[in-house]
Formats: sequence, C-alpha cells, structure tokens
Amino acid sequence: MTFLQRNPDIVWRHEKRREEQVLKEMDAGKDVEERGTVILLISGMMHQLNLLGGMIWNLCDGTRTEEQIVDCLLKEFDVERNVLAADVAEFIEDLLQREWLIYG
Amino acid sequence: MADTITELFSAPLTFNWTLSYKCNFTCSHCYSRDEVGEELPTEKIKQVVDVLADRQVPFINFGGGEPLIRDDLLEVTRYATDKGLNVSMNSNGWLLDHATAEQIQQAGFKSVGISIDSAVGKSHDDFRNMNGSFERATAALDALHQVGVKTTMSAVISRINFKDFHSLLDLARKHKVSQVFLHNFKCSGRGFKNREDLDLSPQEWKEFYVEALGTKKVTKDLLISFDDPVIASLPGYDENPMVKGSSCGKLSLHLRPNGDITPCGFIPLVVGNILTDNFEDLWYNSPVLNGMRNKEAKGKCQGCGAYQDCLGGCTARSFATTGDLSEPDPHCWK
Repeated sequence: MTFLQRNPDIVWRHEKRREEQVLKEMDAGKDVEERGTVILLISGMMHQLNLLGGMIWNLCDGTRTEEQIVDCLLKEFDVERNVLAADVAEFIEDLLQREWLIYG
Repeated sequence: MADTITELFSAPLTFNWTLSYKCNFTCSHCYSRDEVGEELPTEKIKQVVDVLADRQVPFINFGGGEPLIRDDLLEVTRYATDKGLNVSMNSNGWLLDHATAEQIQQAGFKSVGISIDSAVGKSHDDFRNMNGSFERATAALDALHQVGVKTTMSAVISRINFKDFHSLLDLARKHKVSQVFLHNFKCSGRGFKNREDLDLSPQEWKEFYVEALGTKKVTKDLLISFDDPVIASLPGYDENPMVKGSSCGKLSLHLRPNGDITPCGFIPLVVGNILTDNFEDLWYNSPVLNGMRNKEAKGKCQGCGAYQDCLGGCTARSFATTGDLSEPDPHCWK
C-alpha cells in the first residue's frame, strides 16, 4: 500500500470559513474553480488550492491511498468515478512532482 | 466589512509577540524600551498559545524586549511547537551562549534572529549602548549554527549603516547566517525621539533601496529581505508580495505582554485582548484593522501612480508622524 502524505515541511492552513462560502457558491451554480480554500506557504510564497485540491490535500494524512481518497471524495461530489479519479490522479501527480506530497 | 484579506484569511499568518518589555540593552532606536506593562504568567501565556493554535496561526515570532529575559521562554516555546506552531525569535544575543543555544534547539525553535546593526564592533556597541554586545551577538550566531538552529540577522537601517550594508552581508556570510533582514527605521518610541539623528531623508532612503534591491538581485548565497512597502514605488521593483502595502493587520498582528493585540509593534492602537475578547470578532470587525486594510489615498498619495502598489507605504510611520493611518509615509521620496 502506498499512502499519500503531505510534505511535513510545508506550512498550510485549511480556511474553513472560505470553504463554507465556496460551497455555497458552488451550490448556487457559480464557477469556483479558481477559489482557494487551503493555503500553502512555501519558501515565502503563498499558494492556494481550490475546493477539490483542498479536499485532496486534507485527505493526504498518511492513512489513505489514491484510490481511498477517490472513494472519500465520491461521497462529496456527484460525478462519475472515472472522471473524478482522473482529476485526482492529475492533481496528485502534479503535487508529487513538486514534492508537496510524498508517499509514506 | 468584507475585504480581500479577510475574505480568504481567517487569521493572520504571524503573531509578533512581545512577551516582555524588559531588556538588558538601551538601544537608541528601540520602540519599546520606555514601555512598561503587566506581563502574563506562564499559564496565561499557554492559554494564548491555545488560542493561536485553535485559530491555526502558523507562525509566532517572539520579540521584545529581550525574549530570553523571560525564564519561561523555552517552556512556552516547547508548548507551542508541540501544538504545531512554528516559533522563531529575535534576540540581541547577549544571553545566548552555547548551553542556551542547545536548549533553544531542544525547545524546537525554527530559527533565531540576532540583531546586529554594524559590522564594526564599536559602532554596533555604541548604537546598542552596550560594550561587548557585538562580540556576544556574533558568538550567539556561531553557537546557534553549531547546534543546528537556522539563524537570521536583523539590522535596522539608519544613519550609522545605510552606506555600509554590504559589510553586514559579509558578516552574515562569515557567521553562516541564512537570511538578512534590512529593517526600515520606524519612528516609534526612542526611534521617534532620536529620529533627527538616526532617520534618513526620503532621497537617502530611495538611494539606499535602489542599491540594496540591486544587490539582492545578484546575491545568490544569502537571502536578503526588506519589510518596507514604500519600495514598491521604485522602478524595476518586481517582487510579488502576498499583500500590497503594509502587511500589518493583514498577514501579521502584534501581541503585547498583557495579551493586548495591536496591528504591529509600532502602532499603539489596541484592537482588543486575545484572552478576554473574541478573536474572530476582532479579526473581522475591528475598525482599526479594517481601516488599515482599506486605506484611502491622502495628501500626495492622491493621484500617485504608485499608490496601487505601495498603498501609502508604512502605516506605522504615517501614524507615528501624523496620527492618521492613511497619510503618506514620511519616507516616501515621490
């Protein structure tokens, strides 16, 4: 099993109030693709993860595989599994390359 | 009032925390040396840490006063680091020998900054009004490096060093420092009383920053940092700060020894107390903080093409010299 975990050197914060707002906007049919809900502070720069990215980030706590993360997210989003799995795989691959995520 | 800061941030990223105003030095520029105030006992300080951890504030930077004067500093730091906070401090280095450096490392400090204002020992000692302080400060840097604690060096730019900051960078290299902060001079406290002797003219500030920014661009072995929003008006300035203008009240807040919160250590406006007030209410609704986040151009800032980037420069200097948060920064050369 290959569990995904966040790079422990990265300082981050889940902006819960912002996430609540983004969820309301999503329910109202607005485009929330560019709206950050998790902030990462890396080398003096701030990066934001959007709703899906933030949820994946939160789930990467060293106890789940990529497949298990998809299982968790399927409970939150009304979407085909293969579509969601592709999005999750692309996001995780990107963050693995940046070394923001690592395999535990 | 909703704004771009609180629309995203539920709390600041950093609390600059003055645990005590007490200090073993009497520096000419100090904002706090003449301050007195109640200090919280250890258990109350831990309650403050609990609030910061609950609010997910990632960074605490202890300043002062001299942080090492508090004999519970290491205990409090261990408590904070155990809760996941990233703790740093700024010290004059006098009390920081090898044994203390080891304790600092064990307490979990992420980094320690040592204040050194001149690479010439006597100039530093005179500025700090403490003979031998340069030697102790550099020894502190070495001790910290030896035990594996990341070190930074802080210099307040003033008349004694603005033409000679390159030697400060060389000194930092010699003592294996990773980052040098060239702090802008604040006219608060003793800095206000002594500003005629210490502060530069706006034109001198411009010349200093033009040269210092040029040096920063070509320096690869050392991080050089400025915390002065007025530089955003310089041609060729291409940094990408997280926020425009002063970061105080947006990315950072300041804690006084009694738990009172101010926007920064140089602005004596109390927005509330971290132990007795609801922090969320203060963060989102404080008129002072919202005033700092939503400044309106006044005076020569009106119509200035740089205003959208510098937002009037350093709010603390504006307030210290005019009593108005939105007046132009007196260091501005435009």
